[in-house]
Amino acid sequence: MMTDTRPKPKPRPAPESLPYWQAAREHRLTLPRCLSCERFWFPPSRTCPHCLSPELEFQDVSGRGKVYSFVTFHRVYHPAFEHEVPYVVALVELEEGPRLLTNILDIPPQDVRCDMPVEVVFDDLDAEFSIPKFRPST
Amino acid sequence: MNIASPAPLIHPSRELRDTCAIVGAGTSRLGRVPGVSSLDLLVEAIRNALEDAGLHASDVDGVLCRGPDESYSHHQLVAERLGINASFSTTLTNGGASQIMSVALAVMAIRFGLAKTIVCGFGRDTWSRTHANEEARVRNETRPASLLPREFGPEYGYFGATAAHGLGATRHMHLYGTTRDHFAEIALAFREHALRNPAAQMKKPLSLEDYHAARLIVAPFGMFDCSLRSDAAGAVIVTSAERARDLKQPPVLVKGFGTHNNTRGWFNDDNMVVTAAKQSGEAAYRMAGLGPEDVDTAQIYDCFTYMVLTQLEDYGFCKKGEGGSFVASGALRLGGSLPCNTSGGQLSEAHAEGMLQIVEGVRQLRHTYPTNRQVKDANVALVSGHGGNQVCHSTLILGRA
Repeated sequence: MMTDTRPKPKPRPAPESLPYWQAAREHRLTLPRCLSCERFWFPPSRTCPHCLSPELEFQDVSGRGKVYSFVTFHRVYHPAFEHEVPYVVALVELEEGPRLLTNILDIPPQDVRCDMPVEVVFDDLDAEFSIPKFRPST
Repeated sequence: MNIASPAPLIHPSRELRDTCAIVGAGTSRLGRVPGVSSLDLLVEAIRNALEDAGLHASDVDGVLCRGPDESYSHHQLVAERLGINASFSTTLTNGGASQIMSVALAVMAIRFGLAKTIVCGFGRDTWSRTHANEEARVRNETRPASLLPREFGPEYGYFGATAAHGLGATRHMHLYGTTRDHFAEIALAFREHALRNPAAQMKKPLSLEDYHAARLIVAPFGMFDCSLRSDAAGAVIVTSAERARDLKQPPVLVKGFGTHNNTRGWFNDDNMVVTAAKQSGEAAYRMAGLGPEDVDTAQIYDCFTYMVLTQLEDYGFCKKGEGGSFVASGALRLGGSLPCNTSGGQLSEAHAEGMLQIVEGVRQLRHTYPTNRQVKDANVALVSGHGGNQVCHSTLILGRA
């Protein structure tokens, strides 16, 4: 079998996202949380979008959520995904509130549904990055 | 003695109603126009709009354009090619919401004396740019690296506007039982309108079978849910209602406009199922003193079929969640209760990021079309613009003088 050597796009993190990716490498899902209003948000930034407080810390979250919505890619937009179509890209709403764009694994695309419960799994891309993805949970 | 001033009974935006008119409208050649840059397409559209108005470039003292990305048009370069200095000119960067916003800005500038006659336009050479060679095709589909989000997207194989809007479509289908047959009716209705429009890019009839047989792009969207890649430009000329009375064409009054940007993001709140058309439309209705029941024809920003359906709900033409049954009734067809995208829209006429929808609104209100294209007794047209990473929205309400 031929091996496809074309790499998938690697994240190029913004400075404020580095803690997120460092935790992901350790297979932890972590999000910025406001020390003032205690709410989470995503994507990472250095000011709480709920109350504008600059006081925040990254906190690990449950990794559980549900599919808010999803699409199934049939067209190849990038050569690295040529052998993956059809694949699902979903917006997952975490129990803690924020929504993350992700892939849904371990389920045929036609069986994915909105509001189905999912849990995080980590896809080790290379020595540097593990990508948070999700699979159906019970 | 202090007397509290009473709250104004009339919203201040009312002062802008009917103060300005669109007196000229034009397009470039549409569809496949190889060898002509986006800038020259726009100049072609402006020339046609000026001729339509019976005006010369020297009568124009304002230029408003959608901003440049890649080879798109730009107000400075456009004014240079028109050979004019402009009292009031700038570039807008609200994506497909920019074109109506440029008309809105023109009305405000003219009303307050910053300019007298302003041209608003947009042109693009997307068909040529994406079909010139294989390299151009790939480059366009993956978007320039400088525009790509660097994280939280590409690593998941998430690219492009089709997927972004498709997420909204899936959620709407889940919440309200909307189906691909509903989306199909939008594509079919607009194709049928395009067949009546000799300038339209698409020339062949489209059947429900064709729709379902077409390849999927990013499900739930197949090929016919997606708007066209076009070489296309459009332009309109705005001046005061008073000046408009002496010009060549029956003036089409700007009765109202509104904008709203859901800048908390497409992924947040309910923004992908209740679009900014809601607030943008409410603002436009308020200025115009009109409501959805007064609208005779709608020219809706149709980047994807679903976006028509949800905007129709958000504008109040039907209730939220009832867009599917509304379009299934045949409402959008010429002869239906709300003839929509009567030139074929971006799905079947050509895609110039909403500019052609404004042109079509103007033309319908002039009552000069042959009967098979004319919305009978059209007095009020609503036009929508949507874009800017899905969150920017603008609405224009036009009326016969």
